[in-house]
Amino acid sequence: MPASDRRGLRNAVVTLRSRLERHALSLAALATAAVLAIMLYLPVGVVFVEAVLEAGRPTLAHFRSVLTDPFYVGALADVFAEPLAVGSHLEGVAGWLGAVSVSATVVRPIPGLELPVPWLALETPGVRLGLFGFTAYQAALSTLASVALGLPAAYVLATYEFRGRRTIRSLTILPFVLPGIMVAVGFYAMFGRGGTLNGLLGLVGLGPYPFIEGNPLAIVIVAHAFYNAPLVARVTVAAWESVDRRAVETARSLGASPRRAFRDVVVPQLFPAVLTGALLTFIFTFMTFPIVLALGGLQLATVEVWIYDRVRQLAYGEAATLAVLETLLSLGLTYAYLRYESAQSGLARSAGTPARRPLVPDLRTALSPRRLAIVAYGLVVLVVFVGPMASLIVGSVTDGSGLTLRHYAFLLERQLEGASYQTLPWIAIRNSLLFGVATLAVAVPMGVVISVVTARAGRAGAIVDALAMLPLAVSGVVFGIGLLRGLVFGIPLPGGWRFQVTGAVAIVAAHAVAAYPFVTRNVSPLLANLDPAMVESARALGASRYRALRDVELPLVASGIVAGAAFAFAISIGEFSSTVILAGGGDTYTMPVAVERYLGRRSGPAIAMGTVLLFVTAASFVVVDRVGGRFER
Amino acid sequence: MDRRTFIGTVGAGTVTGVAGCLTRDGGGNGDGDDGTLRIATYDSMVNTENSAGPWLKEAFEAEHDAEIEWTVPDQGLTQYVRSARENADIDADAYVGVNVDDLVRIDDELGDGELLQELEVDRLDNADRIRDELEMGDPHGRVLPYDTGYICLVYDETLVDEPETLADLTEPAYEDALLAQNAQNSDPGRAFLLWTIDAHGEDGYLDYWGDLEDNGVRVLDGWTESYSGAYMEGERAMVVSYSTDQVYANEYDYEMSRHQVAFPNGQGYANPEGMGILEGATDVDVAYDFFDFVLSSEPQAEIAQRNVQFPAVADDHVDLDSTFDEYAHEPSETVAFDYDALRGSLGGWVDDWAREFVGQ
Repeated sequence: MPASDRRGLRNAVVTLRSRLERHALSLAALATAAVLAIMLYLPVGVVFVEAVLEAGRPTLAHFRSVLTDPFYVGALADVFAEPLAVGSHLEGVAGWLGAVSVSATVVRPIPGLELPVPWLALETPGVRLGLFGFTAYQAALSTLASVALGLPAAYVLATYEFRGRRTIRSLTILPFVLPGIMVAVGFYAMFGRGGTLNGLLGLVGLGPYPFIEGNPLAIVIVAHAFYNAPLVARVTVAAWESVDRRAVETARSLGASPRRAFRDVVVPQLFPAVLTGALLTFIFTFMTFPIVLALGGLQLATVEVWIYDRVRQLAYGEAATLAVLETLLSLGLTYAYLRYESAQSGLARSAGTPARRPLVPDLRTALSPRRLAIVAYGLVVLVVFVGPMASLIVGSVTDGSGLTLRHYAFLLERQLEGASYQTLPWIAIRNSLLFGVATLAVAVPMGVVISVVTARAGRAGAIVDALAMLPLAVSGVVFGIGLLRGLVFGIPLPGGWRFQVTGAVAIVAAHAVAAYPFVTRNVSPLLANLDPAMVESARALGASRYRALRDVELPLVASGIVAGAAFAFAISIGEFSSTVILAGGGDTYTMPVAVERYLGRRSGPAIAMGTVLLFVTAASFVVVDRVGGRFER
Repeated sequence: MDRRTFIGTVGAGTVTGVAGCLTRDGGGNGDGDDGTLRIATYDSMVNTENSAGPWLKEAFEAEHDAEIEWTVPDQGLTQYVRSARENADIDADAYVGVNVDDLVRIDDELGDGELLQELEVDRLDNADRIRDELEMGDPHGRVLPYDTGYICLVYDETLVDEPETLADLTEPAYEDALLAQNAQNSDPGRAFLLWTIDAHGEDGYLDYWGDLEDNGVRVLDGWTESYSGAYMEGERAMVVSYSTDQVYANEYDYEMSRHQVAFPNGQGYANPEGMGILEGATDVDVAYDFFDFVLSSEPQAEIAQRNVQFPAVADDHVDLDSTFDEYAHEPSETVAFDYDALRGSLGGWVDDWAREFVGQ
């Protein structure tokens, strides 16, 4: 090849690269839009449209019947039935207020334990909450519990140095990936009358206490915290680690006490992250499904339970209506939060190495009130988080006669001798890991692109950003049925063709769609806090938008990206409903699917598979965080 | 390259990618008439320990010049009801694991006699071995039972006495004792609900459940949660379950005192499972051969013991293991609603029950 040609080629490559670079952002945005259109809007749209259709004609009848049914909306049914009768509604509220009374009383908060606590009893005439009201109520309580259990973990992990800190930080994600049925079985094994906790208490002559039956709502809330407190903790730790140390030092040098510096400098920077965690928790627990009925029973049914039932009965109109209302509530809340977040943009921050104090420097410090409080919290963590998982692991190696390895022998035998139509453990493990890595690779760019596009777009950005949370705000049951009807069965096209999407690629895309909001929510607050002048200077010096993003912004928000990436991986590992639908009869099943399939009249093999899931996930998270940690520095 | 060309290129790329997702509607089910019978079933037929499916496949293939391929649709028969409703392909020839509720649901959704073909029973030599009490009463004759389970109560004799009647369960002796399942999602849960409807009538069952609720019944979602979760961890003294419970307790060395089987009113609710041929099946002859094989003696014993259910054929035609006989209990009287009794009523019964129960 003559030198001039080579030069020409090199020029062409350089030009192409610079063009690609110039358009990298739009390219990524376009690809993101394409994935969302096929894997999210199409399936969700296929079902949602049923909410406004009756025998093919547009109608609002479904909404009318749901909104005026006290079973669904409780006391609000009258308001929806006659929105204009303001007078009579006000009278109703006044009558209710008049009947409220407050009195001093004594309660015993711990079931089975005579521990009287003085309390102000609020006597209110019952208000019928309806399915939506109760669902929101338990979600709000679950959110409080998750924040209360998650924040101390974030505090300890972000401010203290101790052996195994990094590993524990990696493992915080574990509860998040456990299939619901495993969590339920784990909770019974830990908190049941014959469970581990009562066994331990029995050793010191206490119990047995009916932890689960004593207050089913409380145990459901604890189970929700089991899932979501780690989420709150992780989001908060990521923000905590990116708090600008210099700002704290400046405050201290200006005479602020450590407490004051914490309150005025650190807390404002953490608050958006804590709220993000709370928001995600609320949305998740608002759409909770397997846990409530498994631990609490039908009395504690939520909206999602009814959606599942309607879908099972193929009553798509009513199911879609309930799901649309659920989604509107979640998105409305997200929008309100995002308006708040966008008002918070503050100073630029840098990801300096956070200074951590040793947790146990010497014996005297170890006995200080703060250290003792941490020890007490550690005990709570042992009971609430480690307990159910450890009890599961114990369950996988026991049967009626004591220790046994037969459940694992089953997995091994199935792997070695199983037929192709059976579910093989290794294929499940392999698929889970492959899909996890692929999801991470797809979801991180998607999430970052959406963050960049919406970061400084003001009110319009907040709307787009809220809509970008759609995957979290759509009922899992409805999304699943949308995937089945829209992608697995396919959309009929003229000429006998069908548009169908299934298999591994579809599964990764569906996982990425479910996962990118976590990347966005972790990255956006950090991005919004960067000083716009930095990007502008880079641009003024001739950097393309992509270059400015890659070389200036992303390194500064690396902690958010790594946190988001870890979530993306976790979402993919734990995802069940869309995986099982898109996997069909093929060999693209994952570990949670295998757990479900091994569940028969004997739970041992499924629990053994659940334990394998735990260990594989734990190992991968240590790796993900170690690799991610390099990018953070 | 300006923005427009660029977007055009990406667009073209997307279109090419998406084109890989276009398929042509095929003719029948499966891969055509090639001697391979694709049978859809539920998970525990193929995926759990000691499942019957692999045994059936091997034994059938050894006797016949045909092949069996098991497939497990993840939402069971509902998936095919949905497929049929959307005119999508159904990838199986036969279905093993149809119960009478399924038939009712098929007809409610798709119209009378849909999804499965009417069986020509004359083609099956062994069909007359099936016990009469397992007759599902399908007016379209679409399924034949191959096994049955009985729903009963499993209780801990160290905590409660055997309940003699369903009415006993509302007595103080059984306060906070019973675990049941959500009739919306769970087969044993639905069976138990239907049993109470049989006992108290359409007009009385909700009152009975009101009494049960006052007595502290707990309705968990499914069998796994209530049995493997709550009951096995000692939460309660009694659970709605299957009458073959002791077979497992024996196999896994659990205390028999906690695995006592009660048939209140001397009854158990029968839940026969049937097999049928899907519309559009291409290997109908093989399917008939397979069904006849399933109803012959050895497979009946194997299915019963592996699925831990009871055979569908009369006792003379099947020889069960003595351990199975010892630990699997049959009620002296069976209760079961047939097709006609359920058609048009089942949905409403379950719905009224569930709404009554969700007490906000």
